[in-house]
Amino acid sequence: MIRVAGKEHPWRPGMTVADLLRELGGLQDDPVVRINDHYVSRPNFAETTIPDNAEVFLIPMIAGG
Amino acid sequence: MTGYELKLEKTFPYQRPPIDRGYAKQTLHLDLSSLDIAARPVTEQMKDLFIGGKGFDLWLLWNAVKPTTRWNDPDNAVCIACGPLGGTPAYPGSGKSIAATLSPLTGAVIDSNVGGYFGPYLKFSWFDALAIQGKSDRDIVVLVDGIDQTVQVFAAAGLPDDAYSLSEVLTGHFAQGKPRNISVVSAGPGARNTYFGCLNFSWYDPKRKRARYKQAGRGGVGTVFADKGLKALVARWDSGISVETNSPADRERLKKVAKLHSREIVELDPKQNEMAVIGTTHLVTIMNDHDLLPTHNFRFGQHREAPNLGQAVFRRLFDPGYDGCWMGCTVACSHGVRDFTPLTGPYRGRKVFVDGPEYETVAGCGSLLGIFDPHTVIELNFYCDAYGLDTISVGTATAFAMECFELGLIDARHTGGLELYFGNRAAALEIVHQMARGEGFGRLVGQGVRRMKGVFAEEFGADPKIMADIGMESKGLEFSEYMTKESLAQQGGYGLALKGPQHDEAWLIFLDMVHNFMPTFDQKAEALHWFPMFRTWFSLCGLCKLPWNDIIPEDNKGTPEPAKVMKHVNWYAEYFSSVTGRESAPEDLIRMSEAVYNFQRVFNLRMGFGRREHDALPYRAVGPVTELEYESRAERYDKQLTDAGKIDIAGKSTAEKVALLRAFREQQYETLKDAVYKRRGWTPEGIPTLATVKRLGIDFPEVVALLKANGVTA
Repeated sequence: MIRVAGKEHPWRPGMTVADLLRELGGLQDDPVVRINDHYVSRPNFAETTIPDNAEVFLIPMIAGG
Repeated sequence: MTGYELKLEKTFPYQRPPIDRGYAKQTLHLDLSSLDIAARPVTEQMKDLFIGGKGFDLWLLWNAVKPTTRWNDPDNAVCIACGPLGGTPAYPGSGKSIAATLSPLTGAVIDSNVGGYFGPYLKFSWFDALAIQGKSDRDIVVLVDGIDQTVQVFAAAGLPDDAYSLSEVLTGHFAQGKPRNISVVSAGPGARNTYFGCLNFSWYDPKRKRARYKQAGRGGVGTVFADKGLKALVARWDSGISVETNSPADRERLKKVAKLHSREIVELDPKQNEMAVIGTTHLVTIMNDHDLLPTHNFRFGQHREAPNLGQAVFRRLFDPGYDGCWMGCTVACSHGVRDFTPLTGPYRGRKVFVDGPEYETVAGCGSLLGIFDPHTVIELNFYCDAYGLDTISVGTATAFAMECFELGLIDARHTGGLELYFGNRAAALEIVHQMARGEGFGRLVGQGVRRMKGVFAEEFGADPKIMADIGMESKGLEFSEYMTKESLAQQGGYGLALKGPQHDEAWLIFLDMVHNFMPTFDQKAEALHWFPMFRTWFSLCGLCKLPWNDIIPEDNKGTPEPAKVMKHVNWYAEYFSSVTGRESAPEDLIRMSEAVYNFQRVFNLRMGFGRREHDALPYRAVGPVTELEYESRAERYDKQLTDAGKIDIAGKSTAEKVALLRAFREQQYETLKDAVYKRRGWTPEGIPTLATVKRLGIDFPEVVALLKANGVTA
C-alpha cells in the first residue's frame, strides 16, 4: 500500500509513476511527483518505480524561481 | 570588533504620527553631497497611481534624474521602498523591500525585490520610501531610527569592508541590547569594483543569534550605492510588531484572510515543494529533467552530474530551523549552511554561516560554469554576498568568459594566466576574489557581458558575431538561470521584461512548454500581459511573489483559470482592501500594475531605451547557435523544421539546418513581439500609445510630450 496525496492506494511490485498516474486518471498533467523526499519529473515517469509504503505527492508546478 | 569610528555629522529629528492604513505618508530624501535631509509628503495621487513599493521608487527616481543622467552621476538616486501591505506579520511573504536606481549595466531603471527587515522598519519609522542622491568622498552610514525619531548621518572609518562582518558590527553597534530591532543595508568591495554589485538586507535571527541577509541582486544597485560613498543604511524599530503596527483599515477582515493563506501554506508546502525545508533547490533536478537547467553558458539544459547540486544534497546541508526573512512568514524559504569553511579568500579556514544558496545561485555559480560540486557553489555564494556581488550576473558573466576561453576567442594571456575552462572551480573562485579587489581579469568580467564583448572584440580581436550569439545579456543585464530555447513564451518573458532578462517578471516555461496552456501567439501575448502584472503588483505592495503560485491550492485544477491561481488572487484583493480601505477586486490589481508597468516602459524611453530594438535577445536564448548544440537535440529541431516550419530538410547539412532553424525561430520571436505590443496597448515600436497612458492615468504633460517626440500620435 502507498499513500497518494494523503489517501491510500494499492501498490504492486514494479509499479511505475506512469502506472500510478494512469490508475488515478485525470491527474496525469502534473509534471512532477514527489516520492517520499525524491522528486521525479515527467520525462522519467515511465522508468521510475515506486517502493511499497511510499508517500507520493503530485506537484502542480505552475511557477518557479 | 574594535577600531572603527562613527562620527555624527547630521541629525534630522522628526515627530512620527501613526501609520495610516498601510502608509506612513512621507518619503525621506538625503543628499550625500550636501548632507541635506528632508521629509516630503506622499500625495493622494502617488497612492492612487503608484500604490507604493516599486511604484514609489519609480516616481521618486523619475523626479530625481534627467534624461541625460548616468548611473554614476550624483543625480542618480538609490530608492528603497516598502509598500502598503509590507510589514504585516500575519500574511505570508509580507516583509519585502524594493530597491531601484539607474543601472550601471543597462543605463535604464533596475528594480529588485528583497527580503530582510529594512523596508518595514523604514515605513514604521515614518517613511514609505527613501531616495538617496549625491556623493560623499567619505564612507557614510545613515541611521533611520524610528524609536528615537531621528535620521542620523555618520562619517565612518575603520569599519569592515565586507557585508558579512559589517552587518554584524553595525547590528551590534546600534542595537542597544535588542539586535532584532536592527536591519542593515550594505554592499561591499565587489559592488564598488564591478557593475553588478548587490545590496545585502539584514534581519536578525534570534535562534541562531546572528544577522542574516537577503540580496537585492540585479542590475548593480549595490554598485550605485557604493559609488555614492554609502557604507550602510541602518533602520531601527521596535521588533514587537503585530498586525496593528500597520494600522489596517479592517483588522478582523485582514486577520481572516491572512489566516487562510498562512494555514494553506502550512498544510500544502510539506505536500508540494517543501520550501520551508529546502527552499528553491527542488528546482535543480526538475529543471534538469526538463532540459531547462542551464549548463556551460546555456549551451545545454541538462547534465548527468546535476543531481550533485539538487535538493537531496541541500536537504542535508541546510541548517534546520525557521528561516523566514520576514516575521511570521510560513513559506520560510531563506535557508543557510552553518559552520561552512571556505577554502579560499580572506575567510579561508574560518567557520562562517552562509545564507543560501537558492536555485539561481546553484545554477548560475554551478551548472552554468560546469561546476557540480556543492562546496564550491556555497563558497561562491558566500563570497558574492560578502563582497556585494550579484550571484546571477557573476555566474552568467563568468560562464561567457569561460566559453570564450574554450572557443579560443581569448586565452591565458588575456586572463592573467587563469585557465578558464568550464568546471575550473579554483578559477571561478579567483575571478570573484579579483572582482572584490578590483584586479586582474576578474575586474573585466565584473563589467558584465555587454562590456566584455566590446573589450574582447576591440582589444583581443575576438569575433563579435559569435559573441553576440553566446553573450547571454539583453538590455545589458545578464540572464537569470533558465533555458528558454524551447519556450517561446519565456523568450518573451526575458526579452520583453522591462529591466532585462530576469525571471521575476514572467516565468512561463512550465505553463507554456509543459502544460501547453498557450499554444497560439495571442495566448502567449495574453500570458505576457497578466503574468507580469500580477508579479508587478507584489512589488508595489511590499510582498513576496512565492505565495501566489509556488504553493498551489489542491482544488486549483478544477477552476476556470488554473494558471492564474485565482483563489490566491482573490485573497490578495481582500488583503489589499482590508489594509488600505480601498475596496479592490482582482481586476483592480491588474490595473494598478498596468499604470506602473507602462510608466516604467516610458521611463526607459526617457532614458534612451524602451523601444523594439531594445527587446532583442542573443540567439542562444532562442535556439542552437552551434552545430554541436543542434546535433545534441537533432530529433527535436528536425521535427520543428519539418512540422512547424514546413521545410524539407532532406539532404541538408547540420550547418544549413542551424541556419534554417534560426530564421524560423527569430521570425517567431518577432511575431511574438508584435502580439505582445498589441496586447499591452503599445505601438509596433514597443512604445505605449497616448490612449494607453491616458487610460491608465499616467498622461502627465512630460509623458505625453515624450511620446509625441518619439513619434506616437494616437
